Amino acid sequence: MTMTRERVGEADLSDAYRTVSLMVRDRSHSTPDAVAMRDKDFGIWQERTWSELWDEIVLVAHGLLALGMQRGDVISIHSEDRPEWVIVDLAAVAIRAMSTGLYPTNPMAEVVYLVNDSAAKVHLAEDQEQVDKVIEAGPDAFPNIETIIYLEPRGLRSYDDDRLMFWEEFMELGRAHRAEHPGRVAATMAEARVDDIVTLVYTSGTTGPPKGAMLTNENATFAIENIILAKDRTADGKMPGPHDMVLTYLPLGHVAERIMSTWTMCSSGVILNFAESIETVQVNLQEIQPTLFFAVPRIWEKIHATILIKLTDATFVKRLINGFGYKLAAYIGRSRVKNDGNYTVGARLAYWVGNPLMFRALKERVGLRRCRWAGTSAAPIAPEVIEFFMGFGVPMVELYGMTENAAVATLNFHGRNKVGTVGEPYPGIGLRLDETTGEIQTKHPGNFLGYWNKPEATADTFTDDGWLMTGDVGVWVDGTHLKIIDRIKHIIITSGGKNISPSEIENSLKTSPFIKEAMVIGDGRKFLTALIAIEYDVVGNWALSKRIPYTTYRDLSEKPEVIELVQGIVSETNEKFARVEQLKKFRMIPKELDHEDGELTATQKIKRKTMEDMFSDLIAEMYGS
Amino acid sequence: MRTRPRLYVSYSSEMALLPTWTQKISALIFFALLVVIPFGVIPGFGFLADNDWMKILSRVAIFAIGALGLHILSGLAGQVSLGHAFFVGIGAYTAAILGGEVGKGTWGLGLPIWIWLPAAAIVAAAIGAVIAPVAVRVRGIYLAIVTLGLVFIGEWMFRSLPFITGGSQAGRKFPGLEFRLWQEEVPLIDFTSDGSWFGVEMTSEAKTYLLLLVFVIIGVVIAKNIQRTRIGRAFMSIRDRDIAAEVMGVADTKHKVMAFALSSALAGVTGALMGAFVGRLIPEGFSLFLSIQFVAALLIGGIGTVSGTLLGATFVIVLPRLVQDFTGLLASTAESGTGVLAAIAAFFVSTAENDPGIVSTLPGTSPGLNIAQFNLLLYGLLLIGFLIFEPLGLYGIWIRIRNYWKSWPFTY
Repeated sequence: MTMTRERVGEADLSDAYRTVSLMVRDRSHSTPDAVAMRDKDFGIWQERTWSELWDEIVLVAHGLLALGMQRGDVISIHSEDRPEWVIVDLAAVAIRAMSTGLYPTNPMAEVVYLVNDSAAKVHLAEDQEQVDKVIEAGPDAFPNIETIIYLEPRGLRSYDDDRLMFWEEFMELGRAHRAEHPGRVAATMAEARVDDIVTLVYTSGTTGPPKGAMLTNENATFAIENIILAKDRTADGKMPGPHDMVLTYLPLGHVAERIMSTWTMCSSGVILNFAESIETVQVNLQEIQPTLFFAVPRIWEKIHATILIKLTDATFVKRLINGFGYKLAAYIGRSRVKNDGNYTVGARLAYWVGNPLMFRALKERVGLRRCRWAGTSAAPIAPEVIEFFMGFGVPMVELYGMTENAAVATLNFHGRNKVGTVGEPYPGIGLRLDETTGEIQTKHPGNFLGYWNKPEATADTFTDDGWLMTGDVGVWVDGTHLKIIDRIKHIIITSGGKNISPSEIENSLKTSPFIKEAMVIGDGRKFLTALIAIEYDVVGNWALSKRIPYTTYRDLSEKPEVIELVQGIVSETNEKFARVEQLKKFRMIPKELDHEDGELTATQKIKRKTMEDMFSDLIAEMYGS
Repeated sequence: MRTRPRLYVSYSSEMALLPTWTQKISALIFFALLVVIPFGVIPGFGFLADNDWMKILSRVAIFAIGALGLHILSGLAGQVSLGHAFFVGIGAYTAAILGGEVGKGTWGLGLPIWIWLPAAAIVAAAIGAVIAPVAVRVRGIYLAIVTLGLVFIGEWMFRSLPFITGGSQAGRKFPGLEFRLWQEEVPLIDFTSDGSWFGVEMTSEAKTYLLLLVFVIIGVVIAKNIQRTRIGRAFMSIRDRDIAAEVMGVADTKHKVMAFALSSALAGVTGALMGAFVGRLIPEGFSLFLSIQFVAALLIGGIGTVSGTLLGATFVIVLPRLVQDFTGLLASTAESGTGVLAAIAAFFVSTAENDPGIVSTLPGTSPGLNIAQFNLLLYGLLLIGFLIFEPLGLYGIWIRIRNYWKSWPFTY
């Protein structure tokens, strides 16, 4: 195999803007044979070295050029996480084009909207399922799309659409183009500018249609410098590096996984390990034992619930020991929460006892044994969950950011971790609270360029003096740490005039392993109520052990025993809150919430408006009209 | 991956015999312990270096090779066979003809071990391969009956060929465990007399044991390796459902014949070594009882696993000795004193003509079973017990213990 650098020529890119793609090229020169990625195929984690990775990126870049992509053109990617996702993403950056990611769960209507809104020229569809969403929309549904590249040929042989192109064909195109124009990609990379758009990230759109946030090279660099290369981030104080393992499983189109996976790999050379699917995350975690692990609260809640259930399901002797270990962990957790995440002497001693006894084995089972940084963000999380993991010695912190500021806002630094807050602003960035509304606003080079083709929406997001309005209300804790109250538009003002943050109550409910979703209602009403969805398999197991027969999700939800169980959890939660914040009534949601049915966004956030319309009868019943 | 035992980046690492460092090191330690047994340096197990225990361990080793053969046929390919003793006999007499001396009315070519041992394997395998196509036309219990017939045919044949076997109840001499280049007077390496090896004084029993240990390890490596090849996977697919395997493209008859041949080859080696080790065997030795011992080893140890087979082989060979020692202990307890223990012991053993008991220390005069009969009874009880209560055998018990710790602090 000839080396990549011989083919693209030793183009001198030392003066070029250091885009994320250039960072990969540099790694392919300095450590060509080190592992960059692993992807599980037929039960084996197949490895890709940096030189192989860069080779593929260059080929894809040539292929995109051959398809006529130019600076500023868009390629839309509709696929689960897999190496090709990252390769296409970085190839687009290399030729100064940009990518936008769709969620695999996006139904056809949303695909039509997103692809047309971004005016993508080339569309990458993973398999037949995703290709169908394009083809079935009709021949004229996508005026801009010229080529649809697909990765999995299964079931697609009989399709005859001139736009379809198999991945191998596309790579062949790239090879031909490279032979004809060697060095074209390097030449384009040399022209990269600080304000080139690298990606469009579509906001989840809990209200209104999604908008494409434009992130530039400058935003990416700023995010890398502040978040990834933050000092005092990890438990051992070391920067991320080639020895770190990351599990890539959240949608890569989302800004969080972009930063935590793609950009961390580019900037620090960590190894990306692609999970087989979201269902296998827990198994893949055990195999990979990542050192840097980022998860959304939903995943943390799930791991938390799994641990709790397995601990109580253990056999007698194990349960005795677990009971003792759990007490130790609870003590350590409480102590660390009080001491900004640090160990007191007592907590350290307890850890020394508990770690060999069960913590280490427990962490190994759930895949967090080698974790030196564990992050949660993208949605609010109950402090109890963080405390739980801290008790077992997982260095877990909450951070905060949003797509529009390249996720650069606050982080709980190691040793200064205040649970319940989202941490301190990164050093030197502009972050303030609006004096009247308490809204968090940021101003720094991470602030996005604007919404794609939506100048009015962009203007609405910035204050007159150029600060980005996040839409979140926050307060300062101890003058250094930021605590998020809620989204401005979610805050409930009861008819009695009280301002209440529903997510705090919802998260408290969700710490129970039995509860999957909760939505608190009460805006303009006399009292608070909630719609509650159960965790199907957990409650199912519980029902089984109580010998309660059930057939479907709905049947299970409406069993009097289950309602009694939930009532217990609600009463327990109510005790933690003031009178006005207590839930007076609740109803069970009769179906499993789903993205395709429109109740959840692609990132599994509840669409409140849709929910209120869908379950208006349940709500009306509670307020007894 | 060293620190991540469940992360496999290549098929070779996933299929490795000893995938983790812990396993590599414990295997090495176990091997080292086996090697130093004859020197009596293992605290608490020094008695194993005694000559009679060395002999028992040597018999375990010989028996284990044959058990590994049956493991391939029954454990991997799922073909129940009661005819293993027949192939052991074939191997034994092949060795006798090729390696033995000419005796009174018996043939013998006096060839060295490097000819008669492989030949025992090859001849047994060849006969296995000839018989197999007929045998594998039937399944399950019918196959058991067919192979059962083989044992009786074999025993009758061995008795009727005195120029090979020495004849009924008489037997013949077998070649010794000596390594010669050809038919020279003084063997190059002699495993049957005391002497010093590399400056270490060793008994003949210790030498024999070490030689046989090498053979067992070769057998283990063969059995383990077959398991992770295409052939081994074909065997297992036939075991799990032969029709399904055939539908998936696994040649049914071909693989069953291969399993028979491989299994017979190992049985042949066992026969040859058994003859050489004991020195003289009678044709009645290759009877149904021997076959049942092999089946018992598999079922008690844990069918389908190499470790289980080894455990089972050890158990089956060591058990009679333990029974004997234990009976002796009971007899002395019963005689020596009064009290509950003595009463219980007296209930079990019969030491005098009118003393009722289960096991007799004076076979012929006192009532009760003799040690050999009692052993048979025990095998039967153990087989039934294991099949009902622990179908995975001794190995299954180990698996349960291991899983208890593996899933710590959870249960699943």
